[in-house]
Amino acid sequence: MTQQEIHFDEIISRYRSDPFHYVDIHTIHAGQVRYLVEEGSEVEGPTGEWKQVPGTPLYEITRERNAKLIHSQTNGVVSELRGELEGEFVEAGEKLMTIRHPLKKKEIIESILQEVLYIFPAPERARYYFSMDIQSRIDQKGARSVFIQPGDEIITMSLMKRDTPVYYTGEAGIIHSIYFKPGASVDQGVPLIGVCPKNKLQLIQKIITRVKAEWE
Amino acid sequence: MIAPFFSIEQALADFRASRALRDCFPEVPDDLFSRVMRYGAAVGSRIEVHDKIPRCMGRLRDLIDRTGTGEEPVPSGTLVMARELANGCGRFDREWFAPRGGLWLALAWADTLLPDYARLLPLAAGSACCQAVRSRGVDAKLKWVNDIHWQGRKLGGILCETFCGKGAGDRYHIIGIGINCNNVYFPPALRKTSVSLQDILGVPVDLDEFVPVLLGFLTWHFGLVHLHEEQCLAHLHDELRGEGVNPVIQAWRRLSDTPGRKVVYGYDVVRQPLYTAVARDVDQSGGLVLALENGETVIETGGEILYL
Repeated sequence: MTQQEIHFDEIISRYRSDPFHYVDIHTIHAGQVRYLVEEGSEVEGPTGEWKQVPGTPLYEITRERNAKLIHSQTNGVVSELRGELEGEFVEAGEKLMTIRHPLKKKEIIESILQEVLYIFPAPERARYYFSMDIQSRIDQKGARSVFIQPGDEIITMSLMKRDTPVYYTGEAGIIHSIYFKPGASVDQGVPLIGVCPKNKLQLIQKIITRVKAEWE
Repeated sequence: MIAPFFSIEQALADFRASRALRDCFPEVPDDLFSRVMRYGAAVGSRIEVHDKIPRCMGRLRDLIDRTGTGEEPVPSGTLVMARELANGCGRFDREWFAPRGGLWLALAWADTLLPDYARLLPLAAGSACCQAVRSRGVDAKLKWVNDIHWQGRKLGGILCETFCGKGAGDRYHIIGIGINCNNVYFPPALRKTSVSLQDILGVPVDLDEFVPVLLGFLTWHFGLVHLHEEQCLAHLHDELRGEGVNPVIQAWRRLSDTPGRKVVYGYDVVRQPLYTAVARDVDQSGGLVLALENGETVIETGGEILYL
């Protein structure tokens, strides 16, 4: 427990000294880049009921006369921009800029928890919902009473009217955090659930209490 | 299980080799046609015909589960058919009425495709069913993702799921297909929204002839998904390959009347409609491009629509 507390203090002080999340923006494919923002520009993420209003346009990439506008997925400030790439043909995956996103108290708690919990990400961009068994256990007792272990069918992924069972592959534990709304579209790699081994539950409660008390 | 009163396997082989199928794709060169058909050749590799079972998809799941417990693996393309289903069901908990006279089957397809291409299988299954129905002279259309309808009334439906066997852990795509052929009686709740081929044509459809035709089109359209994967992977490192045409989407577009329609969208659109929009198109991965009333665009990769 002592070791966990030391680790916990380090995490807390790190967020206190730098309460930001840095989002690197990379080229989605090879092509000629034209920037639409500059260093210091404020950017917004997508808005609207279904996030249908795109965020601030960040850059345009052109390949074979096919130009694509790439929009910001988060709000913040462009903290770093590789100006030397303006107008250049670059490879896929080249880093173009970094957006400094200011974390809210809730996001800080979530970020800290995501370092402690086992995060189970979405395997593909699709709609997700809990398997019938897990959903009924959540409905009856709440997610934090639901214990899962590797091999359990926990979620169904629905893509193009094809349902695929998703089997849990992480550490055994209780479902501590649910990051998706059943039936909502989730991008590949975005966390679906955070699982907490039983022996870490007390530590996690302490993290939440302390961050809530210290962050104003 | 019952013995079919004709050899489906032989009839399927005959149809695959026939001019009738080849003439459906006149723009495709012979060598490409052969490659596509080879990719899809597993369709119907093993065929079970039942008189009455609860569900064809359930029967396939049982067979897949038994693999690894002494039973032989289920060959990709295994088909289960039944003359009647005791417990047919649609998406969510919707009832599917499956009496004698209809065509009820499920196909197991080994999960060998990469995820970006496996997502095209539901569209390919829809195209195959729609094209098979059209071959009977019925102007059927596809509603995104893969509902087969005639003048707004449902002629057929498809259910897809990925299933991992408990025994050996092999993964398959299971495609359940139901087409109203000679079943002319529908329960009162479905009478206005459903229709059968016999209703439209005025005469019964010869199922012995129709089944191989459907399987032949499944061979083609599933083969097309695999060929598309092969071609995309061959150009994976070609940075200047551009945005190539997806032949699976191209085939689907020719059969669908969804683009241009005003629709209501929802994950479970009957129980919980979310919004109305105009369907513009499907993108290269099969996602439905919807124009909202405020001019914004949304691309949906799951859920369902109703026409307004």
